Amino acid sequence: MAVTQATRGTGQAPGVRLAVETKDLTKTFGDRTVVDKVDLAIPAGSVCGFVGPNGAGKTTTIRMLLGLIRPTAGRGSILGGSLTEPASYLRKVGALIEAPAFYPQLSGRDNLKALARLGQLNVGGVGSALARAGLTERADDKYRSYSLGMKQRLGIAAALLPDPELLILDEPTNGLDPAGIVEMRGLIRSFADDGMTVLVSSHLISEIEQICDYVVMIRAGRLVHQGPVADLRATQQRDVIIAPEHDEDRERLAKILEAAGCSTTTQDAEGTVRVASEGVSAADLNRLAASNGITLRQLAEQTRSLERAFFALTGTDDAGLRPGQEMGAIK
Amino acid sequence: MTWAAFTSEWTKLKRRTLLLATFVGLAAAASLFVILIFSQAPATGHGGLPSLQELARPNGLIIGVTRATMLLGIVAFGIAAAQTASEYSLGTLRQLLVRQPRRIALLAGKMLGVLTFLLLAFLFAAVVAFAVAVVAAHARHVSTSAWFSGTGLSDLFTALGDISLAVVGYSILGLAIGQFLRSAVFAVITGLAWMIAVENIIARIDPSTAKWLPGAALETVASGGTEGPTFSHGLLVGALYVVVAVAAAAFTFTRADVTA
Repeated sequence: MAVTQATRGTGQAPGVRLAVETKDLTKTFGDRTVVDKVDLAIPAGSVCGFVGPNGAGKTTTIRMLLGLIRPTAGRGSILGGSLTEPASYLRKVGALIEAPAFYPQLSGRDNLKALARLGQLNVGGVGSALARAGLTERADDKYRSYSLGMKQRLGIAAALLPDPELLILDEPTNGLDPAGIVEMRGLIRSFADDGMTVLVSSHLISEIEQICDYVVMIRAGRLVHQGPVADLRATQQRDVIIAPEHDEDRERLAKILEAAGCSTTTQDAEGTVRVASEGVSAADLNRLAASNGITLRQLAEQTRSLERAFFALTGTDDAGLRPGQEMGAIK
Repeated sequence: MTWAAFTSEWTKLKRRTLLLATFVGLAAAASLFVILIFSQAPATGHGGLPSLQELARPNGLIIGVTRATMLLGIVAFGIAAAQTASEYSLGTLRQLLVRQPRRIALLAGKMLGVLTFLLLAFLFAAVVAFAVAVVAAHARHVSTSAWFSGTGLSDLFTALGDISLAVVGYSILGLAIGQFLRSAVFAVITGLAWMIAVENIIARIDPSTAKWLPGAALETVASGGTEGPTFSHGLLVGALYVVVAVAAAAFTFTRADVTA
């Protein structure tokens, strides 16, 4: 699999301060390589999306960054501290790892107090972390009575306890309803506005697309791409979505376009044809359709979503990714 | 750092349900033992149960409690094992390690927290059981004056020290087993099966090996020595098991990948 440039850990402009940097980071369990020579270079102050299908190695990588799993090979530094000495940087790191995990019989507040005491943090900061996560009203209820969304909020509050420079959120929208997802998105953006570096992992690329300015793509334990989202979008070819006025003309239109050298995909559900627009403008397509007596009811240029970019980069289909999540393509 | 882990552990341990269940449960169990011993004691003679004459001696006050040491050991082992193993099953260990990456400090703080919790529970149970013993003695017209003599109080404090040592031993073994097995239920069942069944079976097959087993050694410590193995033998064997358990727990805890 080719790794796109801006990837192999050196895609940063000189002088860019990196919050996370790894070189050849590898983890094997027995004879199974879960993370394979991953070079991360995540700029400080960015909101970085860490994307890949389930089982791609995201959580294992995150656990290595947090000192929970010992790398088999490779090195790295987090906020200037060596990966082999997690104590040197974890005081400046907040993390939500997979599903939030707390003591069910304790209240949300007491759970955070236990963590604050353990980390020798100011216990007085528990209230503000709860407020930031929007959990003040239910802070004194037992954790076991919380809904999934509230548990996720408590996980965020726990991550905020050390007033972190780097916030690592592993699948923070898991289990949230649409309103919760929108709210989480807003929260993450607000952390970035406060100057934190945020690393968000997700298998929902469309989610990442909406909140991140930097992206790391991983598949089968290997780095596929990393770099600014804007750069990735700029390199992605645009598609043109066209729809004939009469649906029965769709197949004929696709054949005409193919004959003219265009790569097309008919989209039955939408009644449209997607045309990969390499060297072909929307105006060209409109003229071609009109010259063949077909009137168009829709003609729109569309930048490929990160999800499509991921598939293009990995040369795969969407197996392993949650179906029906390609939404919010950027125009 | 160890102190931070200790105070953090106590934030969890001092929750009302665990506190009440452990303190009141242990006190009730020890008191029940005392009541049974006094209510069933024959007037004179030797047998399975101490007689009223024996209960009136300076060490009469501690007879009931020392008979309940196996129960204390089982409770201490079970609670300690559950406290460690549940960090894995709940997934809370990863949160703890992010906030305290120095694993030895975390382990030491947690062990100290659980040990102090169980020792306080034991001391509370002892105080309640002794009060119950005084009342039960009066009910059976047993004189308690010898209990509060110099010899009686000396015996009492020696017995409390011995049982406390045994509670520490049972607790550390429980913490280590919980750490190895990572499942509260499995750890408690394994520990109980060992102490109640396996050691008894081994002792019946080859009685000479019994004094080298961990449960029996700690029981010897708790009872201040027996006619068979002495207190110092029990202490040495028990301490050996505890040192090995702590070393093994520390070794695996510092090296293990946390995937839970």
